[in-house]
Amino acid sequence: MPNTTFELVSFVPWTLIFTWCNLFILFLIMKKLLFKPVLKVLEKRQNEIDTMYDTANTASEKAKELEKEYSMKLAAANEQAGEIVKNAQAQAHRKENEILEQAREKATVMTERAHAEIEQEKKKVYEEIKGEIADISVSIASKMVEREINAKDHEALISQFIENVGEVK
Amino acid sequence: MGSEITVTGPKALFQIGPIIITNTMVTSWVIMAIIACVCMYLTRNLKVKPDSKRQIIAEKIVLMVYELIDGTMGKKWRHFAPYIAGLFAYSFFCSMSSLVGVKAPTGDLSIIIGMATITFIMIQVVNIKYKGFVGSLKRFAEPVPLILPLNLISEVATPVSMTFRHFGNIAAGGVITTLLYAALAGLSSVILKIIPVAFIQSIPIFQVGLPALLSIYFDVFTSFLQAYIFCMLTMVYVSGAAE
Repeated sequence: MPNTTFELVSFVPWTLIFTWCNLFILFLIMKKLLFKPVLKVLEKRQNEIDTMYDTANTASEKAKELEKEYSMKLAAANEQAGEIVKNAQAQAHRKENEILEQAREKATVMTERAHAEIEQEKKKVYEEIKGEIADISVSIASKMVEREINAKDHEALISQFIENVGEVK
Repeated sequence: MGSEITVTGPKALFQIGPIIITNTMVTSWVIMAIIACVCMYLTRNLKVKPDSKRQIIAEKIVLMVYELIDGTMGKKWRHFAPYIAGLFAYSFFCSMSSLVGVKAPTGDLSIIIGMATITFIMIQVVNIKYKGFVGSLKRFAEPVPLILPLNLISEVATPVSMTFRHFGNIAAGGVITTLLYAALAGLSSVILKIIPVAFIQSIPIFQVGLPALLSIYFDVFTSFLQAYIFCMLTMVYVSGAAE
């Protein structure tokens, strides 16, 4: 039968059967050699994209959390700093008051001492003046009576006089 | 140039026992081998991050077939995609093979009958699967039992019309091409008779150019169109059988 040429419109049963086989084999070829590998890589890509999205979401959530945490920490730190400053101010104020108080006390003490010294000085001067007045009185009196008065004799008298004068004063 | 022009069907190349192997069969095997090689080439070391045009083409093909299936059959029929892709490639490249001068396997009635009968069997299988055996038989008597003969005829007409459409287009393209070549050869020999050299007279000068233009329509365009129509009809009929 080789080299027989069939009519244009002819039917060869074996060709029909082979065509069925061919199409089945072609289906397998397409499935195994084209669709399966391509779908596998597409699925892999999809998985990778999903993983990337997940990672990105996790990262952004973590970042938000961290931001929250840090802002909280910052607020706490600010508060703490404020407290420290406040404490320091209070302490400084206290110290200032203390120093002022001390200074005032010291000043008072010094003033008192000064007063006491002045009083003493005054007393001393008064004593001195008293002595001098007595001398002057003696000399005046001696000149007045034109005779020498025994200073020692009259001194008691004069000092009594002066004391009386002081009391009057 | 002989005045007798014959357009023939397939040629039996050899015979093993009762099995007759025709030239169209051999051509279709070669085409299948080429398709397999192309598939292997396209899907060679695919990467998640594509860096080759090959992979992009392979992915595009798969996604295009899926889009076609989604559009005409619905997403649940995606397992049909490899068959549709195979059918399309088989039909298209078999028709295109006439470009390299061999007899197009799709111009062989037996092969087209083979393709159409598979569609027909698929329609019946899907019908039985979705409606049960009795239910699938009941559809012939719907909407009124009177219409039964017409329904039976239309059921059989489906593969027959698919066969004739595909076979007719490709075979007619082949016939026209043969006639055109013969006519152009005749024209060349008539015009070249002015030159009294037998060798020059035998050169079919007009066969250069014009047939190439026509083959863009008859081979490339028709091949694509018929492959597309055949696949489209298969998808529509098979998914329609489930409703």
